[in-house]
Amino acid sequence: MVSHAGGAVPGMSPLRRSLGRRSFLRSLGGAALIPAVGLPLAGCGGDSGSGGGSGGGGGGKPSGSLTFVYYGDANQQKSYEALFTKFRSEHPEITLKAQGIAAKSWADFANTVSTRLAGGQPLDVVQIATEGQRIFASKGLLEPLDPYIAKDQAMVDAYYKDTSPEIQGWLKQYASPDGKTYYIPGGYNTMALYVSDKIFSAAGVTPPTDTWSWDEFRAAGEAIKSKTGAFLTSVGSGYFTDVMPWLTNNGASTFNEDWTQITFNSPAAVEALTFARSLVVDGFAPKPGGTFDAPTALSQGKIASFGGGRWPTLDLVRLKAVDGVELVKWPMKAKAGSPVGWDAWPILKGSKNKDAAWTLISYLMSQEFGEQTVVGGGAVPARISVATGPSFLQNAPKNTQLLYELLKVATPIPAPNRGAEIQAVIEDAWLQGISGTKDPQTALNDATTKLQSLLT
Amino acid sequence: MSTVAPARVLEETTHRARRHRAGGRSAPLAGWLFVSPAVLLFCVFILGPFIAAMALSLFSYDLLTPAQFVGLKNFRTLLTDTTLVRALGNTFVFAFASVVTHLVGGLLLAVLVNRGLNRVLSYFVRVAVFFPFLISWAAVALLWKYVLDPSFGIVSYYLGKIGITAPGWFTDPAWALPSIIGVDFWHTIGYTFLIMLAGLQTVPAEMTEAARVDGASRLQSFVFVTLPLMTPTLFFASVITFIGAFQIFDPVQIITAGGPDNSTVTAVMYLYQTGFQAFQIGYASTIALVVFAVIMLVTILQFWGSRKWVHNA
Repeated sequence: MVSHAGGAVPGMSPLRRSLGRRSFLRSLGGAALIPAVGLPLAGCGGDSGSGGGSGGGGGGKPSGSLTFVYYGDANQQKSYEALFTKFRSEHPEITLKAQGIAAKSWADFANTVSTRLAGGQPLDVVQIATEGQRIFASKGLLEPLDPYIAKDQAMVDAYYKDTSPEIQGWLKQYASPDGKTYYIPGGYNTMALYVSDKIFSAAGVTPPTDTWSWDEFRAAGEAIKSKTGAFLTSVGSGYFTDVMPWLTNNGASTFNEDWTQITFNSPAAVEALTFARSLVVDGFAPKPGGTFDAPTALSQGKIASFGGGRWPTLDLVRLKAVDGVELVKWPMKAKAGSPVGWDAWPILKGSKNKDAAWTLISYLMSQEFGEQTVVGGGAVPARISVATGPSFLQNAPKNTQLLYELLKVATPIPAPNRGAEIQAVIEDAWLQGISGTKDPQTALNDATTKLQSLLT
Repeated sequence: MSTVAPARVLEETTHRARRHRAGGRSAPLAGWLFVSPAVLLFCVFILGPFIAAMALSLFSYDLLTPAQFVGLKNFRTLLTDTTLVRALGNTFVFAFASVVTHLVGGLLLAVLVNRGLNRVLSYFVRVAVFFPFLISWAAVALLWKYVLDPSFGIVSYYLGKIGITAPGWFTDPAWALPSIIGVDFWHTIGYTFLIMLAGLQTVPAEMTEAARVDGASRLQSFVFVTLPLMTPTLFFASVITFIGAFQIFDPVQIITAGGPDNSTVTAVMYLYQTGFQAFQIGYASTIALVVFAVIMLVTILQFWGSRKWVHNA
């Protein structure tokens, strides 16, 4: 449900592979066998490799087999495969195995990758989002990229020049525990509101051109409800898609800036949850707890807006419902904001083909690749020139460049080491708050107690 | 010729029997070869992981860094783990409800189909009841999330038509577990139903006819003749339903992820969360051993109790 750089539709869980009872226990047993028989972890300092070595040296063209793991459902896997056709034709000496994982969230994706590494699978390059970047770097699973960058300095400089300085800074701050470079930044997502101009105009409400307040948002909801019968928006409990947008637009967050202190029960956070709950109570948002397809509901006139990054655009295109939809800023109280999450590409320390891995990453950095991701990618392309270019903005809702502009006010989604557990606690508390089974203050206080034990 | 052939057959048979007694090895070897695939699978997928889980329960292991021996620390942690207590409590509630509803529901449906319906309708009902069991849990879970959506779901819609406000099926801690029990019943009742139907069809018709001739009513015939003869089937169904229910994972993971407020977290789900979200593989292995012990204990109790109520023909 929560996805910021690859993208599922909010409120519509991507189908995950069903884990049967027996197969689950068997896989547990299989994983359990690994340390019992004393096998070394594939990801922990494996052989530097004969197929190209490390350090960005070596003459000649790198060759051999390469495994790239990325986040994506079946549709995105199809798009990715198309993207790699060009790479394969340009580098026939490299056998690229690109594997998509349709995880529930980026935190689950990171867990899946960890499990595969522990299972001895030889992964070379992995698309890792904010939620997993710190833990992968701090566990010593990644190869420093500085020698490779030095080798191709001009190419990397050109790429950095065309990518967000904010994300480069955040990568250093959160994913470089020892000062070395482990990641090359990829696509990202911020959170805006997808608004149906048709429903808004039917209610006599003009969508905002810049910021709008919670009160103005509520007033729009009243007009829309009374004149069209549609819901104003959807209110869910996804960490990235629901919790963080309300928090960041009230100057709050789940953790402090360096993710060492919990701020999830701050007065501003409680106020944000209280407001989100009021949207449900007053009938401006559907009751939480079920599943519906927000882009479809918007195209059918049942809902006037929903939150999202780039990924809902893919659904709107599929529904042929892009026209009459525009992106506006999330309504704000204390200050305008947005969460941001980005994916990045490291080379695994256990890779036996690091030079070929760097060749792949170089391709991922290319303008050509960036242009191609526009078609089926669920994230904003890393290159500014692409994210603000016509190929990205055409056949998309009006004002799509807002997703890039929001980087200026964005807050990286806090992702301490035990990210998946932390996310589960936060989402459960938010769900209880918006569904009214706990009052907002109690829900966030209880969550804070649980989070405290996960930070230590 | 007609006299020679039987003699030759007898001679060859005798020769094979002698060879078998003299060699004595080919037959056992063949037997082992026949069972070896099953033995191999058992060792790789059941016995091996079980032994590994026992070994891992003595380690602290996060999948990413080498395991560290911690002795019985994981077992001591069990004693103070309130979430595990909650998970086991939920699992027992789920398993008990599952056994009761499946046995009663499956038996009633089987009786209805076995006696009360004509042949064509009977086939239709059999297929209709069993069909959900063929659908994957992922699809079933998503389907019910749509059906029970509080705002757009069909159930909420019709409840609203008769003036009832639908509860938060999966968001209210009081309703979440019963809702999962209901979804599980819909999905798996077909399997219990088939077992019951097969059991009913093994009850000799002459027994019930004799009871009717002796003046027993339909109900008396069912209670005093059919039901006792069905007890082996009921026992079998109760054992496998409990074992299956105690390992419930898929619907909970997909629908509620254990929430709200741990009201639907189950033992296997907690095991998964501990192992593959918290990456405490050692402690997860300890929980796996607890789950194994509980299932074994309850199954032993069921077998012990069966001596008092299961009719052995």
